[in-house]
Amino acid sequence: MSIMRRIFRWLDVRIGAGEIIEKELTGYLLPPNINIWYSMGSILLFLFALQVVTGMLLLVYYVPDADKAFTSVTAIMNRVPFGWLIRLCHVIGSNMMVLILFFHMLSVLFMGSYKKPRELNWLSGFILFLLVMSLTLTGYLLPWSQLSFWATTVTTNSVGVIPFVGQYLVEFLRGGVLVGPPTLGRFFALHVAVLPAAVALMVGVHLFLLKRVGISAPPFGCAETKNTWQGESYRYEAHPGGIPFFPDYLLQDLTSIAVCMACFFALLFFDPSIFFPKDAFIPADQFRTPEHIKPEWYFLANYQTLKLFPSEIIGLAVQGVAILFLALLPFIDRGAERHPLKRPLFLLLSIGGIMVWIGLSIWGHYS
Amino acid sequence: MGVDDRRKFLAYCLGGIAAVAAAGIIYPLFRYLSPLSSQLESSKVTIPEGAVREGEANFFQYAGSAAVLVHHPGGALVALSAVCTHMGCIVQWQKDRQEFFCPCHGGRYTSDGAVISGPPPRPLPKLPFAVANGIITVG
Ligand code: HEM
Ligand code: FES
Repeated sequence: MSIMRRIFRWLDVRIGAGEIIEKELTGYLLPPNINIWYSMGSILLFLFALQVVTGMLLLVYYVPDADKAFTSVTAIMNRVPFGWLIRLCHVIGSNMMVLILFFHMLSVLFMGSYKKPRELNWLSGFILFLLVMSLTLTGYLLPWSQLSFWATTVTTNSVGVIPFVGQYLVEFLRGGVLVGPPTLGRFFALHVAVLPAAVALMVGVHLFLLKRVGISAPPFGCAETKNTWQGESYRYEAHPGGIPFFPDYLLQDLTSIAVCMACFFALLFFDPSIFFPKDAFIPADQFRTPEHIKPEWYFLANYQTLKLFPSEIIGLAVQGVAILFLALLPFIDRGAERHPLKRPLFLLLSIGGIMVWIGLSIWGHYS
Repeated sequence: MGVDDRRKFLAYCLGGIAAVAAAGIIYPLFRYLSPLSSQLESSKVTIPEGAVREGEANFFQYAGSAAVLVHHPGGALVALSAVCTHMGCIVQWQKDRQEFFCPCHGGRYTSDGAVISGPPPRPLPKLPFAVANGIITVG
């Protein structure tokens, strides 16, 4: 141990390592009534790192060329030792990330943590949400299977109903009139370079805001659940007498990550093809549309909404409004109360909204 | 058992679990990144006899590396590795001199692979081959 001590001391006298530890870890105090939902962000950080690493590994063998993409992915699955493991980690990781993203958003919603002064935390988070959804959408095309090809055809097509510019926008997204090799080029660049960089940047912004504003206290187990900040001046929300981040909450973060990874590996080893319908195993054929072309589970509600409305433009507009409403929520819902049970209208609307989303998804799945 | 002993025991247990987990990550990673060629390519190469004219040399891929087949004036054939024994550049065939020349540091070999001059420490290794029905099979 003493060698570690000496290395630590060597660093400490030079860069003040002890002071950083004191300030950011052992002396970083969190609200005493903090709960498990505050560990969702750490799970997301972990999963994002996992996506970056497995993504880089896939790049070793993946060929972003319409003639070779499908064969290269098949080779990764069948020929490269442990290629299946790397690819399944990337696929299951993406689904897991979306799921945990939903949990993170819901917990922030129900605990009213998006309320002032955390409007920007919410907004930066919402941008992250849109970026992650774009990552899944662009990544879906890369294997160049029937599933990839036609799912991308349908999603890019839906932009076409926007008045005046719609048709041009579709072609711009695809790099051509139809989905084809140019689409693969741009989606590949977005998926492996542009979007990950944007996510990394926004995660930085998100965490910077968290550090400046201070973490919220959950509105549970205390008499006063109203927001006390009135907007008079900048205030860092400290939690004197709270529990230290290290080691206490870090242990919770690690526990949550471990539970998440247990579910992850249970899926990976016991139901490895859960996210691969049969069209995922057929190379893209631009002259043959498959029978049932469905998006991934988290887009099923959007898919069903588009089918429900007789006019496509209304179907799309409804979704646009819903997204805009969610993005701007902290500026619309400005009440000071944070406890969900003391916000009956919010509770009604959000539970109603979740039910509608689940209902639409199930409907979309079976329709 | 005192507190310290229990701590030490727990630390060893955790360390052991961490080591197993690390091995579980490192082994697949190592295998994933290991070169595939040796596992996937067949080890024999066939060339039609007429493809190499007298006094000429044919370069080809063999076992994931470069090889060359020389047809001596008079009819004798020889198959050699084309990898220079000095630092691994690929040798060139000089038809006019009937020699191999390595451009990297000026190594020279005879058409049989023996070193004439320059830094190469060893002759070019000979490769086994057989001729049957007008087909040369290397390997
Ligand atoms: C890549 C995606 C994301 C990552 C890596 C991430 C990470 C984090 C982390 C580490 C925290 C601090 C601890 C916690 O409460 O979990 C946090 C807090 C927060 N996040 Fe995210 N987040 C992401 C996406 C989102 C999204 C989509 C939203 C909502 C639209 C959001 C809204 C918030 C808010 C409002 C807080 C402050 C919570 C508080 O102070 O109690 N985040 N995020
Ligand atoms: S590598 Fe051929 S002479 Fe040096």
